[in-house]
Parts: sequence; C-alpha cells; structure tokens
Amino acid sequence: MTKATELTDDGLLGRMIAGDEEAFTLLYRRRQPSIYRFVLHMSGKAAVAEDVTQEVFMALIRDAKRFDPARGTLGGFLFGIARNHMRKRWEQDRRLVPLADDAEERGELVASGGAGTDQFSSRETVFRVRQAIATLPENYREVVVLCDLEEMSYDEAASALGSPVGTIRSRLHRARAMLLEKLRGVPAAGRTPVAGQ
Amino acid sequence: MDCAQFGEIVHELDRPGTAGPALRESALAHAESCSRCAQLLTETEALNLALSALAVQEADQHAPPRLAGVLVQEFRREKAAAAGHRVRWQVAALGIAAAALAAVGLSMYQRSVKPGVVAEQPSASSQPAPAAGAADQSNLAEAEDGSDFVPLPYGADPAAAEEGAVVRVELSRAALASLGVSLTSMESEGPVLADLVVSEDGTPQAIRLVSEDTSSREF
Repeated sequence: MTKATELTDDGLLGRMIAGDEEAFTLLYRRRQPSIYRFVLHMSGKAAVAEDVTQEVFMALIRDAKRFDPARGTLGGFLFGIARNHMRKRWEQDRRLVPLADDAEERGELVASGGAGTDQFSSRETVFRVRQAIATLPENYREVVVLCDLEEMSYDEAASALGSPVGTIRSRLHRARAMLLEKLRGVPAAGRTPVAGQ
Repeated sequence: MDCAQFGEIVHELDRPGTAGPALRESALAHAESCSRCAQLLTETEALNLALSALAVQEADQHAPPRLAGVLVQEFRREKAAAAGHRVRWQVAALGIAAAALAAVGLSMYQRSVKPGVVAEQPSASSQPAPAAGAADQSNLAEAEDGSDFVPLPYGADPAAAEEGAVVRVELSRAALASLGVSLTSMESEGPVLADLVVSEDGTPQAIRLVSEDTSSREF
C-alpha cells in the first residue's frame, strides 16, 4: 500500500474524502504555507491570512467533492477559494486593500536614485519590493505573488486564477514593469516605452 | 532582436517553461548594443534577485500551528456528522424495506382470504336465510364439512341473513355457549372454528361449526 506521504494531492484528497484524518493533515501541511503566504501578500495582514487559510480548508473539509481534477489542480482550486474569500473581505472592508496612491503619498515605497543589483538585493530593498507588491492593483499583485514568489508556472497560475495563460503572461509583464517603475521612483505613466533602437 | 522584442521577453529570460531561456543569448547580444535595454536588463535582473530574496525570506511563513488543531477538530466533527447521516439513511432504508415487506405480506394475506369470503358470500339465490331451513344450505355446508348453518336463537330474521356475509371465526367454548351452542364432545379444550352468517348490522344470524362434528352440538 502506498504511504500517505508519497501520495499526490488528488490521492490524499481521495483518502480524505473517505475519512482519513492523516490524509487531511498531510494535505493541509503540504498546501497551507503557499495559501497563507498568498493571502498574506495580497492582504498585507497576518490575521486576514490566518482567517482566509482557515476558511479555505474548512471549505475543503465540508465540500471536497466540489473539486474537479479535470478543471485544474487542487492547488489551483484552493487558491481560487482563497481569492474568493479575500474578495468577500475586501467588499466588506475596503481598507484591507492598500491603495497605491495612499502608499505613494506616504512616501513608503518610492525609491530614490537608480536601481542597481546591489541595491535591489539589499535587506531594505527586499522590504521595498514587498511594499511595492502590496501597492499593485489586485489583478497584477496576484500574478506576481503566484508566479514570482510562489514560483508557479503560467499554467498553474492560470488554473489558480481562472484566467487564460496569455492573460497571466501579459499581466505579469505589466506588473513587473509597474514594480520597476515604483522602485525607480518614477510614476508608471511617466515612462514611455523604448522603441525603435 | 529589436527593443520591442527585447521588452517583450526581458521578464522571461530566466523563467522556465517560457520562450525566454531560449532567447537569452540574442537578448544579451541586443543589450550589449543598446544602452536603454541594457539598463532594463540590469533592473530586471535586480528585480528578480529582490523577488527571489523576498521569496526565500518568506518561505517559512505559514499559518499558526493552532489552526491545524482547529481544522482537525472540524474534520472530525464533519466525519461524525457524515457517519450519522449515513446511519439515518440506513435506518430510513430499512424502514422503507420493512414497510414494503409488510405491504406485500398484507396483500398476499388478503388474496388468500378474500376468495373464501367471496365464495361464501351468501346471496338470495345460492344461500337462503338460515332461518328458512338448513336443507337449503346443503351446497354451502357440503363445501365445508358437511354441516349446515343453524339459525341462532335471536337471529331468526331471514331477510337480514340474506344480505349478510359468512365469516370464519375462532370462538371459545364460552362464546359458543353465549350464542346458544354447547358442545358435548370435550376432545379439545381450545377454541372452535366456526362460520357465522352476519347480517349487515353485524348481528350473527346463523352458525356452522367447522372443526367439530355437528353431531356433538346441542341447542
């Protein structure tokens, strides 16, 4: 018999539906960190990340049969639930969404001077990058979190966000351009694309 | 590669599963000849480094351990609820099966009893009133045990008997005595099978013993 730790997500889910508590625990341990971090990056609040992570796995416990492997991975399914819960929260309390203008007004995220490799890799720069991500619009922030921080492929992110791969790719491209602008301290609208060289 | 193409691919140069790695060499070659693209490449690589550093820094971020306990409790509660639900369904299924069996049994019983009652339904043509005389009931009596219906003392209403029905009953000897029938044979102390002609108002009009020899009756 296959050890539970060697099972795929789908295998663990099958056992979990059959009532195997160990399978649920393994699945939770395997999947909760990325869900928690995703929500933490998206909301910027540890309390929200904890609540949403709990809601995601509660939903899995209560309605695991809703997951259809033909429509994507279990990870994508869980990210989708997390996203829905975050949106509900944002609708309830708009203050949970950091607003780019507010952040820029506070001067927290505006970098000064050029952005060399040494500068970006410094501790302070990592902090600034985190803050810059938090100021991205939601659609752009989530692709950066999933593709750059959680190292998902375009396919996986597309499954998680329920968007076409092409949309994920273009959003990520745009999001990274926006991050560079923020880290340079130049408004994104003020920089024109390089052309014709 | 031109600047537009470089701008399209620059964020994917190190991303597995994309066209970026394959175009890396030509992108680097373009950046060597274009200062703006070289700067964009440097910034992008710096951003990649910062994002990697952030990912590493936050790799050990996870939900607090108490959340696992809460969820395991919820899992157990749901499991118990699901088990209870299954038991309720099983009980319901058993109940339905029992009801179906009872219905079938009742139906079979009625089929086995009804023809006898119908066959013995007295009618004006085939079964004259018991009071009219035992000789007229010879056919019915022969069908049973050779005995005739005997009118009961208080039921000598021929018209009422004609509309009545024959029912087979088990009567105690005491009940028989109350109807005016006494048995001389004491071979059995148990109940006695008898056919009663009952009028529409439920009054027994005549009686015929089934299990006792008619010769042992005294009225």
